[in-house]
Amino acid sequence: MLDVSSCKLSFGGVKAVDDVSLRVEPGSITGLIGTNGAGKTTLFNVISGFLKADAGSIRFMDRDITARDPSEIAKLGILRTFQTPVGFPRMTVMENMLVFSRHDRDRRSSPFSPARVPAETLEAASAILADFGLYQKRDVWAEDLSAPDLKMLEFARAMMAGPVLLMLDEPAAGVNPALIESLASRIRALRDQGVSFLLVDHNLKFVCNVCDRIFAMADGRIIAEGTPDEVIADQKVLELYIGKSAKTDLQ
Amino acid sequence: MSGLLLFLVSMVSLGAIYAMLCVALNLESGVGGLWDLGIVSFFGIGAYAYVIVTAPPAASYQAYIFGFEAPVWAGMAAAMIAAALFALLIGALTLRLKREYFLITTLAFAEVIRQIFVNEAWLTNGVAGIYGLRPPLREAVDPSAYGFLLLALLVAGLAIVFLVTRHMVISPFGRSLKAVRENEALAITAGIAPRRHNLKAYVVAGTISGLAGVFYVWYNTIVTPGQYSSDVTFFVWTAVIIGGLGSLRGALVGGFIFVLLHDILRFVPVSGEAAATVASLRTAVIGLALILILRWRPNGLFPERATVFGGAAPAGAKAMVSHNA
Ligand SMILES: Nc1ncnc2c1ncn2[C@@H]1O[C@H](COP(=O)(O)OP(=O)(O)OP(=O)(O)O)[C@@H](O)[C@H]1O
Ligand SMILES: [Mg+2]
Repeated sequence: MLDVSSCKLSFGGVKAVDDVSLRVEPGSITGLIGTNGAGKTTLFNVISGFLKADAGSIRFMDRDITARDPSEIAKLGILRTFQTPVGFPRMTVMENMLVFSRHDRDRRSSPFSPARVPAETLEAASAILADFGLYQKRDVWAEDLSAPDLKMLEFARAMMAGPVLLMLDEPAAGVNPALIESLASRIRALRDQGVSFLLVDHNLKFVCNVCDRIFAMADGRIIAEGTPDEVIADQKVLELYIGKSAKTDLQ
Repeated sequence: MSGLLLFLVSMVSLGAIYAMLCVALNLESGVGGLWDLGIVSFFGIGAYAYVIVTAPPAASYQAYIFGFEAPVWAGMAAAMIAAALFALLIGALTLRLKREYFLITTLAFAEVIRQIFVNEAWLTNGVAGIYGLRPPLREAVDPSAYGFLLLALLVAGLAIVFLVTRHMVISPFGRSLKAVRENEALAITAGIAPRRHNLKAYVVAGTISGLAGVFYVWYNTIVTPGQYSSDVTFFVWTAVIIGGLGSLRGALVGGFIFVLLHDILRFVPVSGEAAATVASLRTAVIGLALILILRWRPNGLFPERATVFGGAAPAGAKAMVSHNA
């Protein structure tokens, strides 16, 4: 599905992504963990085309997408989210949805295509909004939503887009702990419908719970890879998260 | 016909032309997020293209070499095509720049274009301009009634421009334009290519401004470089801000309000010597209006409103909400 091989990207002297190779299998939920500044978001930016890798290549569904235009990559079915979800502030919740609809995608290039949004599209958007508890707020500007609602709108938009690969940057951050389990089951439900996932999060419990496979990153490099159980038992990962001294104390 | 009525007709006509420019600017800068300070470029290009195509050949004292005496519709087509082509060229060069640089570069291009109107006398007859241009259907009615006919033509033109632009704003094209304005990175993830999309809006706005240029020639019956200075750009921006940036109704009304404010001092009965002073107060009146608007109605008289879609509520919507509450 997604194949990242030997990607590198430096900001001046900082090697934010340093020789990273990673795979996302079709129909899998793949996690990416690592401390602050490990390079996770930068890797997301490289995959989605927002940043150009200095070296390496990225393939998606047997196509080379290295250095393609980010909007073209999005059209191939890769949808990435951002660490801080702000949406389109001065557009309504419904408009936020429509921008990601197939209807808009197929018609936006001409200023003369029909203006009317078909009932099916509105209904599909309404159903998703209802599912995320946002239906009553459909005519409200996104800037007037609370932070948790904005987070829900972000998932709702992703569902509207119907991506092949969904890349989530810290989906659990800022989500009410009581709702994290429902978030995990939504992700699994989508996976069962055929969507593949690459997700970054600091909440290890959530990541281990939801992911089939995990990659751990530190200082721009992949330091461990495997099933959740394998990765959290890995020496280097333990050192990273608990700290070397703490670990020796434990022994 | 009374002088006051004539004056009113003339003011509403000018208002319609400004409103057209406002609608165009609102599309690219209100709905789209382009800080375009060169809207006058295409206004001028449209006006000159129309004149070059429709004017009679030059008289002995005039310097321009073209003057095809082509019919009005050909002049209008030429104006819109020329404005669109120039917008495509200038837009392709400037839209890759960051906002602040785009702003300054479009302003600079407008000045370059005005200098071309001044200096290329073989094309434009230079600073003297071209006089005595006959507006359409001039012979169709009694001369004293022509003002009304022209007003009808301008209002019809404005109505068409408004409806076409409105369609673009509420269609997926306009929604995407707004998405780029609101959050460019997120818009990209929806598959929108911001620069290409903005370029389309820029060309559409340029084309409409070019058409407004034709109407301005009809209104004035003369064309000179002085009519196309960057004052026009700032006037149109002021009008759009007074009306409400991003609001279609605001743009429409803003143009008329601007002309009203600008010309209201003509009603003040003053002596000949004081007239010049009063005239120079016009800009002050506009400035004052702008300050008052920004202080008390920062989003304009008709602020941008939320777009509401109809449609039946999905099953279970109510249950979900009460569950969440
Ligand atoms: N645009 C940039 N310019 C310069 N340095 C950057 C830029 N973006 C990121 N960096 C640096 O690259 C490194 C990786 O940053 P990145 O944001 O990818 O980390 P992260 O793993 O997403 O961290 P977090 O968990 O805090 O989100 C950091 O050292 C950061 O300071
Ligand atoms: Mg990050």
